[in-house]
Amino acid sequence: MLSLSHVTKVYGKRKKRRLAVDDFSLDIETPVFGFLGQNGAGKTTIIKMITGLLAATSGTILMDGVPSESAASKRRMGFMPETPYFYERMTGLEFMRFCAQLFPKNSRTDDELGRFLKRAGIYEARNYEIRTYSKGMRQRLGFAQSLVNDPDYLFLDEPLDGLDPIGRHDLKQSMLALKAEGRKIFLNTHILYDVEEVCDEVGVIHEGKLLYAGPVANFCNGRPLEERFVATVQEYEQKKAKEQ
Amino acid sequence: MRNILTIALHTVKLEIRDRVWIALLAFALGYVGLMLFLSQLVLRELPMVNAFALLGVYFFNVIIAIFLGTTLFYRDVERKTVYFVLAKPVSRREFLLGKFFGLCAAVFLTSAVLAGAYLIVIAAAGGGFGALGLLAILMQFLEMSLFIAFAIFVSTFSSSLLSVMYTSAVFFLGYLVSSLVSDARRAGITGIRYILVNVLYYAFPNLAKFNIRDIGVHYVADPWLSFGLAFAYAAAYIILLLFAAIWIFEKKEI
Repeated sequence: MLSLSHVTKVYGKRKKRRLAVDDFSLDIETPVFGFLGQNGAGKTTIIKMITGLLAATSGTILMDGVPSESAASKRRMGFMPETPYFYERMTGLEFMRFCAQLFPKNSRTDDELGRFLKRAGIYEARNYEIRTYSKGMRQRLGFAQSLVNDPDYLFLDEPLDGLDPIGRHDLKQSMLALKAEGRKIFLNTHILYDVEEVCDEVGVIHEGKLLYAGPVANFCNGRPLEERFVATVQEYEQKKAKEQ
Repeated sequence: MRNILTIALHTVKLEIRDRVWIALLAFALGYVGLMLFLSQLVLRELPMVNAFALLGVYFFNVIIAIFLGTTLFYRDVERKTVYFVLAKPVSRREFLLGKFFGLCAAVFLTSAVLAGAYLIVIAAAGGGFGALGLLAILMQFLEMSLFIAFAIFVSTFSSSLLSVMYTSAVFFLGYLVSSLVSDARRAGITGIRYILVNVLYYAFPNLAKFNIRDIGVHYVADPWLSFGLAFAYAAAYIILLLFAAIWIFEKKEI
């Protein structure tokens, strides 16, 4: 189980102080969890704190009872950053080899790495330099590298951004296959249509606060997800305005 | 240790594919080749050929070290490629040290290629195996390692352009400070101004300690002792810089 308890993140100091995540608590047990929010809502900050890229100002994040930023937890997780930037002069396969070598006792053969590249639909381009890749191919490679350690938990930050319809379909199928294998997926996205297809539960975040967490069906309650999402955010804004 | 080695090897691999590095190395080899030509025409005396060739090797090594040190580490952090590494079981300390050793290895590779070219020039100019010349290049490598450590240190808190400026400033100040204290004494400077001079002397690396390039022209007393002292000085300075860089990088929000 992934457990976030009273997590707060403040960027900057004194006059430049900005509250990005505000006393955020959430337990996630569901296979595929989708995190919804506008740009700047705090989704990426949360995923970066879970993966140990950022330190929380206060609060704890545990993965099966172990701090998520610890090496033990990192060995069990895969992460795909938003709009990934790569080492341009490397080939896709070389990049996969490099990523695999960063896990102890993880000597992957090229065939095994090829399996991950096939799963992401980028196998044919494995020997081309990454600088020749399109945005969609980079997204696919970013997804493939997150699988090199056979992770139990997968954290994907806007994985469907920039993909064409075929690419989105392929990646969603891959996510569903990973779910069937028993892996847990944590997905950040603002493409609501995809959330309905892939996620079991969603969390709605706005201005660093959690407004809703639970099953997609309960949240929608027979209405379109987009409509419910907008209504939830607007209700929060109105409540905030009244309080002020 | 394994992670440091993996990142270092990866860094070298990336660097030798970088077009700027290849271009600089080609220029450097061209310069040393020019020395070969000039040695036949103008620089007829071996010590002159030696000094000019070593100066060329040094000059290109400085450019490569400053370029690599100030861009590679910063670029990884700024472009967020570092996310791929740090989300895996790799600490920030291991990442930074891996980058440092990788950059040093790339500069060592450059120095080795240029040293080979240097030996060819000296042999063509009628000299034998230039062991002292090689020692001078080795000491240049120590100096370059110090530059890289400084460049990485600066890159942890400033932009790439500023890092180039700071590292270049250290290059110039590093040669100025060597005679600063004795010059101040000779000029009769006392009090706070003398203290300030001393602060400058100890704050900036004394690069003159690494310079035995004039061996062909001037007598250098016990070059091996100079090397030993320079090695200890560089090691101490590099360790301090890397400690400071790690301290800042571990607190940095990326």
